[in-house]
Amino acid sequence: MEKTVTLAQGAGGKQTSELIEQIFAKYFNNPYLTADDAAVLPVPQGKMAMTTDGFIVSPSEFPGGNIGKLAVCGTVNDLSCMGARPLYLTCSFVLEEGFPMDKVDRAAEAMAKTAKEAGVHIVAGDTKVAGKGQVDGMFITTTGVGEITEGVKTGGALARPGDAVIVTGDVGRHGCAILLSRNEFQIEADVKSDCAPLWGTVKAVLDTVKDKTGSYKDLHVVRDATRGGVGTVLYEIAGQSSVGIHLQQDQVPVDPAVSGVCGMLGLEPLYLANEGRLVIFTPKENADAVLETLHGLPYSGNAAVIGEVTEENPGKVVMHTPIGGETLLPQPGGELLPRIC
Amino acid sequence: MKAAEQAAEIIRNYDGKKLRIMEVCGTHTHEIFRQGIRKMLPGNIQLISGPGCPVCVTPVGYIDEAVYLALEKGCTITTFGDLVRVPGSEKSLASARAEGAKVKPVYSPLDALEYAENHPEEQVVFLSVGFETTTPPSLMAVRQAKKEGLQNFSILTANKTMDNAYLALKDSADAFLYPGHVSTITGTKIYYDLMKEGISGVVTGFTGPELLTALAVIVKKSQEGKPFFMNCYPRVVTDEGSPSARKLAAEMTDPIDSEWRGIGIIPKSGIQLKEEYADYDARKKYDVPEMQGHANPACRCGSVLKGEITPQECRVFGKGCTPEHPIGACMVSGEGACAAFYKYGRDF
Amino acid sequence: MCVGLPAKVTEMKDGMAVVDATGAKRTVTAELLDDLQPGDYVMIHAGAAIAKISGDDQDETDEIMEALQ
Repeated sequence: MEKTVTLAQGAGGKQTSELIEQIFAKYFNNPYLTADDAAVLPVPQGKMAMTTDGFIVSPSEFPGGNIGKLAVCGTVNDLSCMGARPLYLTCSFVLEEGFPMDKVDRAAEAMAKTAKEAGVHIVAGDTKVAGKGQVDGMFITTTGVGEITEGVKTGGALARPGDAVIVTGDVGRHGCAILLSRNEFQIEADVKSDCAPLWGTVKAVLDTVKDKTGSYKDLHVVRDATRGGVGTVLYEIAGQSSVGIHLQQDQVPVDPAVSGVCGMLGLEPLYLANEGRLVIFTPKENADAVLETLHGLPYSGNAAVIGEVTEENPGKVVMHTPIGGETLLPQPGGELLPRIC
Repeated sequence: MKAAEQAAEIIRNYDGKKLRIMEVCGTHTHEIFRQGIRKMLPGNIQLISGPGCPVCVTPVGYIDEAVYLALEKGCTITTFGDLVRVPGSEKSLASARAEGAKVKPVYSPLDALEYAENHPEEQVVFLSVGFETTTPPSLMAVRQAKKEGLQNFSILTANKTMDNAYLALKDSADAFLYPGHVSTITGTKIYYDLMKEGISGVVTGFTGPELLTALAVIVKKSQEGKPFFMNCYPRVVTDEGSPSARKLAAEMTDPIDSEWRGIGIIPKSGIQLKEEYADYDARKKYDVPEMQGHANPACRCGSVLKGEITPQECRVFGKGCTPEHPIGACMVSGEGACAAFYKYGRDF
Repeated sequence: MCVGLPAKVTEMKDGMAVVDATGAKRTVTAELLDDLQPGDYVMIHAGAAIAKISGDDQDETDEIMEALQ
C-alpha cells in the first residue's frame, strides 16, 4: 500500500477497499462491523443517549495520544457524562492527499485500543480523501450511542448550595501538551495529554453514590472538561444552576510543569483544555466516599475537592487565595496569547 | 503565612486619614486583584493603578506604524501577544492579520531574531515595547543581528524608562508601589533621590505575602510624617541593580523625549537606537512616515493611566469597550488597568 | 510591567542558561548576570535572566515585618 494517502484511495474502488482492509478493518475487528451498507445492532434496553463530535487537533500526534484516541475518548466521555454506558461508535475520516499513511495507521490502532478499553464497538465508518490543502491532515468525526443507566439524572442546572465541587485530576494538561507540541515558544516540558476514556470512572462514581445513599439522585452534575478547561465548565454550571461556586485556589491540582509553562506564558491552567477530566457536583457529605473511589482508578489518582457551591454570588466563580483574600476567577473568553509585560 | 497575617492586620486596622497608594506596575495591578488583596483593604486606603503598562502608554500611532509595516511593506511582525488586539487609528494588528498580514506572537525578542535567521525570505520586524526590564533582550537581538550581518531583522522601538515619569506622577498618590522587576535593572538609587523630592514608596515583589508586606510598610511609615523609601523585595532587587544592562542601553541607544499616552511628553523617557544601528531601526530601514495616531474620542485611557479616574468611571467601560471589542489599550493589554477591573469585576 | 518567573539554572552554555521552572524548561540569556552557576535561582523575563533570587518570600517578608514592629 502507498506510503501516503492518495486520491485514488477515496474513490471507492480497489484502493479504497485496500485501505479499509489493511488499516481500519484490521484494527476495528468486531462482529458488528461488516462490509454491509449499515450495521445491524441490538437496541439498548432503557433510554438511549446519542452524541457526535468532530476532531481536528493539530498536530495529530502529541505526547499522551493522537487524534484517533481523542476521537474515541471525546465521544465516549460525552455519553458517560449522561450516565450512559457507551455501546457503539461510528467514525468518519476525511484524509488529506499526501498525509503519511503510518499516522493513519497509528490513529486507527489507538482508536481500537481505546474503544476496547471503553467497552465500545466501532460498528460503522466512512473514508473520504480530499485534495492536498483542502483539509489539514486528518479529520475524524465520531458518533456514539449509549444506554442510560436507569435512575441517573445529571444536568448543568442541578448543582445545589452545599455541593462539593470535585475535579478528577490535575487541570489543563491536554491544552498544555498541544501548545508545547506546536513548539512556538521554545519551551520544553514533559507534559502528556490527559486524554482518557472515562466510562469506568463515571460508573464507579455512580455506584459509590448509590451504595452510600440508595440512589443516583445525589450525583447532581458530571461534566467532562474539554476545550475551555475546567474554568469554563464551572462558569457554565454556575450560570445554568444560578448558584455561586467558591474555590480554594491552592486546592486546584495542577501539574508543576503545566504551572511552569503557564507562568512563562501568562496563562491560567483552569482555562487550558482537558480531554480526560470530569467535574463532579455532589452534596459534600458524599465527597470523601467519591474521592476514595476516584483515587483507586487509573485516571483520577489526584482527584480533589476544589470548592463548594454557595447561594452567594450566583453565576460567579469566586476564589479564596492562600493569603486569605477573595477574588474572582475571571470569566472565560479571548484568544490564547502570551502575556509578557 | 506569619508575615502575611501580620501585614494584613496592620492594613485592616489602619484608621488614619485617607491614604492613596499608586501601583505603578501593571503586573502589580493584576496580581493585587488575583490575590484578593483589594477586598482586604479598609475604606480609607485607596489603590490607584498607574501607567506601568507599556502597551497602554504607547501612543496609538505606534500601532499604525506596525500595521503600515505589515500591510504596506509586507513585513512579518513579531510581537508580544498583548499588542495584537490593541486598536490603532483604523485597525489593529489582529484585523491586519485577517487581511493577510503576517503577525507572529513571541515570548522573547531573541525568539524573533531566531525566526528571522530561519526565514531569510521574510522581512521581520520586532515590536519593541517595554520598560527597563524588557529593553535588554531587544538590544541583544539587534546586537546579534548586526554581528551576523542579518539583512531581514529590525525593531520598531517604543521602549520607555521610568525615572523621569515618577516626577510627573508625584501628585497622583501619597505613596508608590515601585515596580519590582524594573528595579532589578535600575537599582534603588532613583528611589532615594525621589525621597529627597518628597516622594515616598517601596519596591515591591509579586507574591501575595510580598504585596501585603509592602502595603503594610507603606501604612506604617506613612504615619511617621516624613518621606520614606524601603526595598521590600531584597531577595531579587539589589541597590546596584544591573550595571551590565545599563551599560548595554548606554552603548546602543540614546535617550529621547517620549510621548506617554495620557500624560504627554516626558523628557528623556524613551530610547532610540544609535546611528550605527540604523539598519536595525525599522523606522529608518523602511522610511516609515510620521504617524499622528488618533484614539477613539470616547477613550479615556489617558486619564485612567494617570490615576485621575478609575476604569469604572470611564463612560464606555464595559459598555462600548470590552476585552473582546476594546476601544483603548487599557482594556486589551494583559497589564492594563481596565482589563484587570473588567476581568475581576467591581466587587473584587 | 514585568511578568517574571522564578526558575532554577540547570546548565550554563556560552552565556546562555538553561532554566527550569518546576518542569518547564527554556534557554534564556544569562548575559546580565555574573557568575551564574547551575543550581542558582533566577528571575526570568522576556527570554533573559534578569536577577538572581537569594531566598524565598517567606523569610524575606518575615524579616521585613520584624523590622517594622
